[in-house]
Amino acid sequence: MNGFVGTDLAGTIATWVAAIATLAVWSYLVGARRLFVLMQHLLAGLATGYLILLAIREVLVPRLIAPLIEHPRDNGLLVLALVPVGMLIGAAWLPRRAMAPVGAILVGGIAAFALGGAVVGTILPQIAAAMPASGGGSGDLASEVISLVITSLVLLAFLHGAPRGTVTTRAATVGRWLLIGGIGGWIGFLVVSRLSLFVDRIGFLLGDWLTVLP
Amino acid sequence: MTSSQQPLVTAERLASLRRAAPVLLLLLVLVAASLVSAGTHGLRLASPDRSRVDQLRLAIGNLPDDALVLIACDADLGTYPEIRATTRVAIDDLAAHQARLAIVSFTPEGRAIAAAERDRISRGGRVEPPADLGFVAGAEAGLVRSVASIVPAAAEGTIADAIRQRGGGIGAFDMVLIVSGSDISARSWVEQVGSRLPDLPLISIAPTFLAPELEPYLRTGQLTALLATLREGIAYTAAVSAGSPSSPGPTPGPLPMLIGMLAAIGALAEAAFRRLVRRRGRPPRNGRLPS
Repeated sequence: MNGFVGTDLAGTIATWVAAIATLAVWSYLVGARRLFVLMQHLLAGLATGYLILLAIREVLVPRLIAPLIEHPRDNGLLVLALVPVGMLIGAAWLPRRAMAPVGAILVGGIAAFALGGAVVGTILPQIAAAMPASGGGSGDLASEVISLVITSLVLLAFLHGAPRGTVTTRAATVGRWLLIGGIGGWIGFLVVSRLSLFVDRIGFLLGDWLTVLP
Repeated sequence: MTSSQQPLVTAERLASLRRAAPVLLLLLVLVAASLVSAGTHGLRLASPDRSRVDQLRLAIGNLPDDALVLIACDADLGTYPEIRATTRVAIDDLAAHQARLAIVSFTPEGRAIAAAERDRISRGGRVEPPADLGFVAGAEAGLVRSVASIVPAAAEGTIADAIRQRGGGIGAFDMVLIVSGSDISARSWVEQVGSRLPDLPLISIAPTFLAPELEPYLRTGQLTALLATLREGIAYTAAVSAGSPSSPGPTPGPLPMLIGMLAAIGALAEAAFRRLVRRRGRPPRNGRLPS
């Protein structure tokens, strides 16, 4: 039992709905496209409804509207936040020139957070970790040097259109094969991941729905 | 009137059934394997290498008394079943170490899973459900804002008060357990929170497809512990839940996984063989036919 639903009537109905939806999605395998499309529409509709509810109940009301109503003097900045929220709601009717700065601020702000974090939290520490350390043993040093060589070769594979000599071209070819090997390994991880989900769904049908598994 | 009704069995439908036959066969074999999986004692899915499991258990074991632990639940609905049992066991493990738990989500899907897990724990009635810190919008920007303030104004209870007393932000916690998904994973936490709170231990449970992305952070020590493959998760589940009265829910059996992997290898070999045959049958580039 996956434990998400109880053993009461609501739980039983939820299990049946989930089982029927699973079988309806799998029916695509035997060419029942209408059922599959119906399930896609159901998923899209439910997801949209859920997102709207979440935005209203957990973001707009508690973090914007309630503070403005209860303590309007302490939340002057939130009045400013109402402007972009209102503009985004009415984006379909507003001129593009008015919407562009709002969109730019939002996208730029999010991109700045992501980029700043990537540089400070990933690129710099990972470059430092890829450097051969003087205090490590010979085994560590060898693996670090190998890592550095592989990283350099893979980076060379991305030199599209740049002027190349024979050595660089060959190194880039090796880098490209290393990259393909890496992607192959990652796809292997992905296959195992998806397979476990498939097996879990079979377990749900046999265990939670048909109750033939303990 | 002439009837233009399409016959039930058309050539197109038959062809589609024929194409689907291998997948349907695999489905049937997996069903049979799932049914007999409990009796296959010779096969083990749990990883024999326990170093990752030990790392996670050590991190939890090193928590101070009455530690505050934040569960950041941002798993995907699609991949959560892979890490569901591991996550539940980790929550039980934390509760067994008397940690005071709070749960927060930065993705809508994670919020749905967090609410479902809180309901499940409430229904079980064995341990207190984690304090609900709700959903924080804004992805990375929301993470950064939570470093300063994570408790919603309406949140009440001893855990919410304890977090407020310690400053009200993520820094109030002694550890963060990140249940990773594709949108917000342990990577986002390392980049946005780890760089601002370097002394805060971050541990993560992640689905297998995130393993290549998160492994480097474990090597650099930016993550204190990481369980990112099904085998590690099952090893941890087996190590912690042995003798535990609660059930973390089903985990995939080794026999269906083995059969599925053999089918995947078979499909790969078949594709390679077909490509080879096609290449041999193709005329050479100079226009001459093969002799």
